[in-house]
Order: sequence, then structure tokens, then C-alpha cells
Amino acid sequence: MKAEKKEKKYALYPGCIMPTEQYAYELSLREILPKLDIKIIDLEGFSCCSEPIKSVNQMLTLALSARNIAIAEKEKLDIFAPCPMCHLALSDCKKVLDSNPEMKEKVNNYLKEEGLKYTGNSDIISILDLLHDIIGIEKIKKQVKKPLNEIKIATHYGCHLIRPSELGRPDDSENPQKIENILKAIGAKTEYYPEKLDCCGALLSANLPDSALTKTGQKLKSVQELGFDAFVDTCPWCHRQYDARQEKAGSIIAAKLQVPVFYLTQLLGISFGISEEKLGLNLNQSPTETIKGEKP
Amino acid sequence: MTITDLTSMGKSQTEIRKEINERLKKLQNEISDYCYQCAKCTSGCEAHKLLELEPHKIVALTKRGLIDEMINSDVIWTCMSCFKCRERCPQKVAPVEILFALKNMAVASGKQIPGNYTAMLQSVLSIGLLQDIKNVTTKNNKSINRNDLNLPEISKPTDPTKFQTILSKLAVEKI
Repeated sequence: MKAEKKEKKYALYPGCIMPTEQYAYELSLREILPKLDIKIIDLEGFSCCSEPIKSVNQMLTLALSARNIAIAEKEKLDIFAPCPMCHLALSDCKKVLDSNPEMKEKVNNYLKEEGLKYTGNSDIISILDLLHDIIGIEKIKKQVKKPLNEIKIATHYGCHLIRPSELGRPDDSENPQKIENILKAIGAKTEYYPEKLDCCGALLSANLPDSALTKTGQKLKSVQELGFDAFVDTCPWCHRQYDARQEKAGSIIAAKLQVPVFYLTQLLGISFGISEEKLGLNLNQSPTETIKGEKP
Repeated sequence: MTITDLTSMGKSQTEIRKEINERLKKLQNEISDYCYQCAKCTSGCEAHKLLELEPHKIVALTKRGLIDEMINSDVIWTCMSCFKCRERCPQKVAPVEILFALKNMAVASGKQIPGNYTAMLQSVLSIGLLQDIKNVTTKNNKSINRNDLNLPEISKPTDPTKFQTILSKLAVEKI
């Protein structure tokens, strides 16, 4: 079989936070996916999925999510949404519109203004669907050139990636294990910790930023006290809290936090032997260079 | 179009009232009747310890019709949308969805939108995204953004006027 036939193609739905601020996630995704035979197609015209402002107007979330799906459907592409919050919004929208023809018609009435139509033909793929189920552990293992030297990592899935399971989330809502499986494949160690399922608080940043940071800080403090070498996440919202706002979170809970926080895609890239610069490691604000053992 | 149009749904207060009452009735009939106050939602609530949100009481109050009290209270804005209550409810009541509905009602009835939501909404209206491209600081103290990192051009609505037309139509629609 020819190489290009093995390759799978997806429209990248970038959302808002990753392409405007969390560049390390985007950089590392674009580095590792080609090595795993995944081709990312960039499309014009996407907007916010509106999940972060669902509290203000739910109809907006439904319609804007449908609009974004319709853009990829027009190109006959399935959608890869690396942000779990976007992935939830699009999955929720798909579930509503595919089971409610009346609502679908209503939403399509708005979309025709831009020449778009929601049909329900595109699948919505999350980061864990892609890495764990579509690419698979065996294929990831084959790319590993610099195993992660047994560093002990605390995993953070993020609420929107695993709940509500009714909407078809990529891992178990109470005992998710896919990030653990991926980390083991690249030579890292993981361990359960009681706060594993705790929320980062990011959605409170809009109106109660100090409370949001308290949530962030409390989880990191436990991770630090339990002696983990690093903390890993896959959500730009969570990562912004744990990485970029770690120092602030520490000052709010009166603790000195020094937890190295990585995107899962960055750790994969490190194990594949990709340079730190290409993975955006100089953009992580947490002390990623202090990680124990061999410097990744 | 302004945020007021979008959030007040462009209708008179009486009409809004009517709509809210209809939605409330739906919520009461379809969701909260199943709740038997086991408080499993509250025991796992991320906002409970920190901000005293008690999802089982939100359901009970909805059942009793104390909607005005709730939409006038800041407590509905303490939900972090972690979806644990929806996941764990043995009766599939989903307090988080009731809270979304209550917040939407508060906004629709003209109450001031708290915190940064207004700015986020305004940004979606004008550029289609929650925020514009930001500069970030590297570990060696350089201020850069996606253009310095050779990332492709950002994806956003190509025709803002048409995009805003959709939003303005949405403004007079309800879910």
C-alpha cells in the first residue's frame, strides 16, 4: 500500500484559546500528527463553538457549533477538535440536531445566510479518540526514540473530555485510563491520586477568577505534595490555569507551586525526539526544565 | 447589533416573562419531578465546598417555582460546568442543565451579565472568536504570538457581516 493511502485526513477545528494563546498545543499537535500518519487540513471561516458562553445563551452554542460542523461537512471531512470544550459543544450539537429534525431545520435556516448547511455527515473526533483509538498505542510505541525515563506523571483529563458520558465522551467518566495508557507507551509512569477528577475551575475565570484559581491551586498543591514529577493535560483551558496561571494560583492559596505542566502532545513529541523549540516548550510558564531524571 | 439585542432576545419584558414561564414549566415537569433529594449531586459538586452551591437545592427550588429568587441570586453563577452532577444523578435530573437555563433566563430578563462574559460575547460578535490573537512571553522573556511561530493564519469568519446577520437572527430565537 502506498504511504498516502494509509494517511487519515481531518479538518482541524482549532476553537479560540488554542490558536490565540495556547500556541504550544497547536505547535506540538502539528509536529506529532504527521509522524503518526494523520494529516491536518486547515479550513477558513471557523468561529467560536460558544460553549464557554453557554451560560449566557444556549441557542448561540447550538447554532455556532452547527455552523462549525457545517464548514467541515462542506469539504467532506471529519472534524478533529483538540480542545475538549469545543469537542463537547460539537458533539452535543450533533446529538441534538441528528435526533431533532425540527431543530435542524431551524438552525439550517440561520446557516444558509453563509451558504452553509448542517447535514450530520461528519464525525467529531477528540484528542483521545485520535491518539488512543484511531492511531493506537502500538503505532505510538513505534515512534518512541527517547523514552521518558520513568518520570512519574499526574494525569488531568479535564471535565469536558469525560463528562457527560451520555453525549459520548472518549473515556470513562469515573476511571479514565487512556492518557495513562499513552504515557506508559512512551516510557512514563502514572499513579492514581485522589484529586485526579477535580475540575480546574477555568469556567469561573469569567466572573470569579480568584475562585477559579483556588481550584487550580488546590489540585496542583496535592500533586506537588504527592511527589509527582510532572502534570499532564490536553485542554487549552485547563492548561492555561495549571501552567500560565500557576504562580498566581499559588499566591491565592498561599503555596509555592512548582509543578512542571505539559500538554500530552508535548510529552509525545519529546519521546519522539522532536526538538523542544518545535514543541513550544519555551512557551510553558511552569518550570518544565526542572523535571527530575534525565532532562527530556 | 449590540449585546443587549442578543441577550434580551429583542423582545418586550412581558413576552420574555411568558417565555420564561413556559421554559420553567417544562423544566419543572420534565426534569425536577424525578429528583428525590438524595443530594449526590451536591456531595460531588466542584463549587460546593468553595462557593456553597447546592445543586439539589437548586432542583428543589425549581420544583417549588422559586425562579425569581434564583435568577436574582449570584449563586447560579458559581457553577463550574464540570457536569459531575449530571453524570452522577441516579434519576438523570442534570442540575447543571437547570443552572444553564436559569442563567440564560437571568440574562434574557435583562439582569446584568456578570464579569467577563460581556467582553467574551462582544468579541464573538465582532471577530467570531472569544479573544483575538494574544502575545505570550517565552521562557527567555520574548513577547511573541502565532505569527512569530510560523503557524498558519488563524481561522475565523471570512465575512463578518454575514456572520453578524446570523447572530442577530439568533438573538430573537429561543432554544
